[in-house]
Amino acid sequence: MKDFMMIFIGADYQQLGLSPEELQGRMGKWFAWGQKMESQGILKGGEALVPNIKRVIGKDRTVSDGPFADIKEIVGGYYTVSAESADAVVKIAQDYPDYDLGGTVEIREIMVFDQ
Amino acid sequence: MENKIVDHLFRHHYGKMVAILVRYFGLSHIETIEDAVQDTFIKATLQWRKQLPDNPEAWLTKVAKNRTIDLLRSIKSEKNRADKIATGTSSIELNDLFLDHEIADSQLRMIFVACHPRLKPHEQIAFALKTISGFSTKEIAAALLTKEDTITKRLNRAKQAIVKNNIQFDFPSPNEAQDRLARVMEVVYLTFNEGFHSTNKDKLIREDLCGESIRLCKLLLKKEKFRSGSLYALFALLCFHAARLESKTNDANEIVDIREQDRSKWFFPLIQIGNGSMNKAMEYDDVSIYHYEAAIAAEHIKAKTFEETNWERILNWYTELQELQPSTFHLLNIAIVNLQLNNFEVVKDILEKLPISDLEQREYLYYGCYAEYYAKRGDLVLAVAHLDTTIKKTSNRQERAYLEKKKLKFEMQSQI
Repeated sequence: MKDFMMIFIGADYQQLGLSPEELQGRMGKWFAWGQKMESQGILKGGEALVPNIKRVIGKDRTVSDGPFADIKEIVGGYYTVSAESADAVVKIAQDYPDYDLGGTVEIREIMVFDQ
Repeated sequence: MENKIVDHLFRHHYGKMVAILVRYFGLSHIETIEDAVQDTFIKATLQWRKQLPDNPEAWLTKVAKNRTIDLLRSIKSEKNRADKIATGTSSIELNDLFLDHEIADSQLRMIFVACHPRLKPHEQIAFALKTISGFSTKEIAAALLTKEDTITKRLNRAKQAIVKNNIQFDFPSPNEAQDRLARVMEVVYLTFNEGFHSTNKDKLIREDLCGESIRLCKLLLKKEKFRSGSLYALFALLCFHAARLESKTNDANEIVDIREQDRSKWFFPLIQIGNGSMNKAMEYDDVSIYHYEAAIAAEHIKAKTFEETNWERILNWYTELQELQPSTFHLLNIAIVNLQLNNFEVVKDILEKLPISDLEQREYLYYGCYAEYYAKRGDLVLAVAHLDTTIKKTSNRQERAYLEKKKLKFEMQSQI
């Protein structure tokens, strides 16, 4: 088994102006997905991120505040899961609820350093 | 998943919180308040992904309270705004505002604000759906079959009217109370009709509108001072209609004529609630169009089959309704009922004199009635001709599909 990170990009609820009803619907789907992964024992952890961004760039350590670029590119959160392969994670990611809002799931394997 | 969240919890909680906060801070801060409340749901949505709180509603209330305190700070810090806080803050303690009966009280105030005569009728419905029922602009547009832009404009105009006229977050004064309550009932009734008669392809939206109207009506009935025969009759009417909502369209979203509706699908518990409410209405002296409309709806529901409908009774109710509040639509309905009773002379007489232009975009109903008239008299050629006109005058696709089907039936009959 390997560990992977599913990074959720775009589909920021705040920017999209979803209604309370829609938010409740979204939440239900996320919750169900989380429960499903939990019951299969594949969910390791994860967090949602606040969309306010600060960036420190360059050798001068220039600090700048968002918003940067497109909201479609903002990372909104991540889950870490354990799976056989990246393809297995692709399957898991089928249940991500926000594709219809333009959201993306980026799958990255977490590097393990052998001694 | 044992701790499932109640349906519409967010939507209903939104209305509650906006009402409470507006009561505390005043209507002039409504926009800030709406944003703040919206924000709590976004937070909840993210936080509850992993773990639902034991009592989601209590959690939301707690967050709303904290938001109130944050808001108080930010509003206070805004320059020159300090004096405005004083006008919004009532003598009531913040914590008390979150008690059930005070929440209901705040929401009722909001209903009366929404129905203020300074707001135009269109604005009233949009504003009520937004602030009391927690619909988004997009949802309101979908529900009222209008553009999102139009709704945004209506909401803005409503808010401007509130500020310009310095409308207070309060119940109407005793001398205005009756008129305002009448308008409130009308808005509830219209909102329901938007859902019930709408041909919106989204069944959920239709149900939501009807459900919201029933909820508002129930909220009004909670307060003794608002209870009246009219309000109970309105509630009964909504229940009777809502009981049939499910069977009005089939799975393919085609209209099902009341003639062909599966009467076993009518929702009995709602009919019972409606009956109870109708009995209550009779304990009061006032009479309204809702009494008659509820009586007519009840008569349809009582009939075990379409053929068993007591058309004489219905005709009676319509005639009295027409005396109480004359309308071309009622007249047309009188003609339709007379048609069921085979009183052909009466039907022709009414139809010939009917001021069709009053029917506006629903003129097609008039030609539809004529078509039925000729069909019943056995003149299928004229029936088809009138159906053609009906179809031409109908803008709605769903209605048109229904009429096309009917036309086909007539054409086949005429060939036999």
